[in-house]
Amino acid sequence: MAINISNPKGRDAVVAAEGVAPKRDVRYVDEKGKPVSNLKLLKTDVLHDLPELLKKKKKLEKIADALIKDDPEIDIEQFGMFLTDTSRVYVTSKGIVHLVEEFEVVTNPDGSPRDRRPRVKAAQNMNGEFPIKWTGKYIKKEDAIKRFVFTNKKQLVHVNGLTFDFLFDMAKELDKKKSLLLIRGGEKGNEPIVQNRGGKPYNAFLEGRVKKDSYCLILHLSNMELKKPKDLDAAES
Amino acid sequence: MPRELILSLDGREFPVTMVKIDRDKLYGSVEIEAFDEKGREASLRVLAADGKTLIDKGGTSLATVNEKGTSVDRTSLKAVDENGDPIEPVPSSFNGPNVLERATTDEYLSQMLKSVYLLGPGEDGDIKYLLDHLAGDDIFTFPFSYRGGLEYDKAFVLGAENEAFMVVGKPAEFVFLKLNQATVLDSVEEQEVSVDDLDFDLL
Repeated sequence: MAINISNPKGRDAVVAAEGVAPKRDVRYVDEKGKPVSNLKLLKTDVLHDLPELLKKKKKLEKIADALIKDDPEIDIEQFGMFLTDTSRVYVTSKGIVHLVEEFEVVTNPDGSPRDRRPRVKAAQNMNGEFPIKWTGKYIKKEDAIKRFVFTNKKQLVHVNGLTFDFLFDMAKELDKKKSLLLIRGGEKGNEPIVQNRGGKPYNAFLEGRVKKDSYCLILHLSNMELKKPKDLDAAES
Repeated sequence: MPRELILSLDGREFPVTMVKIDRDKLYGSVEIEAFDEKGREASLRVLAADGKTLIDKGGTSLATVNEKGTSVDRTSLKAVDENGDPIEPVPSSFNGPNVLERATTDEYLSQMLKSVYLLGPGEDGDIKYLLDHLAGDDIFTFPFSYRGGLEYDKAFVLGAENEAFMVVGKPAEFVFLKLNQATVLDSVEEQEVSVDDLDFDLL
């Protein structure tokens, strides 16, 4: 994924923001010691689910009879096929629909309703017209970890020699300060980071580490504070 | 009664309770309702690559395959480490005391998050000693497994707002990059912002 980001001087460049995987210590092998992998396969589709069978047979008893006599819940040609390139679609009783109106139903932590509003899908602002802004707002690492839960991370990676220098200098600056830097997106540079259209917004912080002539620039994404839920407070008092 | 985890610090043991915390408990939750042009309720389904097979929840499964793509019985699989050596299963962390070791901020920041728990004193217990240590910049870590299994996660214990939290995850694989390690790009009126102004509720 590309990210258009600016440095302390206000110069911007497009670099890569790569996903970070957790260290994997366990691997599975088959009886011959060869590695194995997991693939997604089709178990059943909506045409063979109970509601569809009920439409055809009308009564559960008739479905039970059909299950004993035959295999109406199985499509031998299809089921078991590996699934790749799947997509998510909206369906109604009339089939797939391409135009839908979405609403967000917001619920309070105690389960009570708070709001119902039309869903607005925010555009991504990671790699747009306006670079991610170096706000200059630093927060000491020790303070940051006590305030925010970092739910996701990405690593910024250079794409050529020029951007190596660009990112190395940013990492060096942050390493020296031993702080995380708040970064923001949007035209005014005051919005949380949205990675994909309609995606979750995150408060984002940049951390830099330097070892000799190499650097590690980590984008910490947070959508949660480290604090006790109010409901738990109320339950205790 | 909730299960109690026993933490050990400087030779003292504290039974603690754990309450899982997530966004829903802090800020509430958001569900999406969708309707077509005629007001009919719409729901999300998975569409297979053939463009016609619709799959509901529970309609897919994971199959384990070998290098040739042949399905393999999961019970025949062996868990090994990166050297190919068999892995000894680890016990649940609830089975005995968990010794807290001091950790660094950078170690904590290198963690890929899985879950966050609020820690409280166990029955007739007291975690004041632990809270006193967490009031400073101390962070502690220990290997954690909820149910036992093939490997431990890494748990960090840290303090915030006079409470103790346990953050569980796995170390991330960050790479220190040199000049020759460039990647290829995958193409796809100022307002003052203070860290104190960050709004998490609306995220």
